[in-house]
Amino acid sequence: MTVQRDPEEREINHLHAFADFAGARVLEIGCGEGRLTWRYAGAAARVVGVDPDPKRLGVARSDCPPALRSTVTFALAKAEALPFPRETFDLAVLAWSL
Amino acid sequence: MVHALKDIRRVLARGGLLLDLRPLSGAWPVEVVGAGGVTVTGHVDESEDIADDRAAAAALAAVEREGLFVRERDGDFDFSWYWDSLGEAQAYIAEKWTEARVPEEVLAETQRQMARAGEGARVRVSTRVVISRWRRLGP
Repeated sequence: MTVQRDPEEREINHLHAFADFAGARVLEIGCGEGRLTWRYAGAAARVVGVDPDPKRLGVARSDCPPALRSTVTFALAKAEALPFPRETFDLAVLAWSL
Repeated sequence: MVHALKDIRRVLARGGLLLDLRPLSGAWPVEVVGAGGVTVTGHVDESEDIADDRAAAAALAAVEREGLFVRERDGDFDFSWYWDSLGEAQAYIAEKWTEARVPEEVLAETQRQMARAGEGARVRVSTRVVISRWRRLGP
């Protein structure tokens, strides 16, 4: 099954227009299989993607591009109970998940 | 949702930002995109989540009223999916959009228009995505 998502790149262009990812510690809530994560993570200092679905997280972990493996990690979690200390991130992204 | 926004605020640094991206529920246009142009063949019914859209907007308004976040910027854009055939589109929708409904007449019209458009034609479904930026307030 071949699908092209947002080849016009409107989503990533809007993300970068709305926030500066350069050097930021980013939390992505509802990262799913990492579709959006790969598109901005290269600019960030650190990215943690969380999702409540272990299957989708498994896909994200296996699909993570080698160049991003030192920057991106994933955790099984819901937005209501984030397993992180206070004030850990500069930027949070609700990725189609609120 | 308010509880989730409060926990997000907890893990955000002072002055940190929250970006909220959400597709709007409703009727998402189905189109055939070919060399001769774009033909609308109907809509995917994605209205099941309209109540969730309203709840999300209400939750954000609630945390703003509490002085936890302030809205700084809003925008929206079209997000599209493209497939090389109707069969691929149907398989994707069945697997990923479990609550979506595509009427039979839309499928039939899309098939007709794909045949008419010829080689290289693609099926496109689009949604409006809203994006907003919120700044964390307070200590």
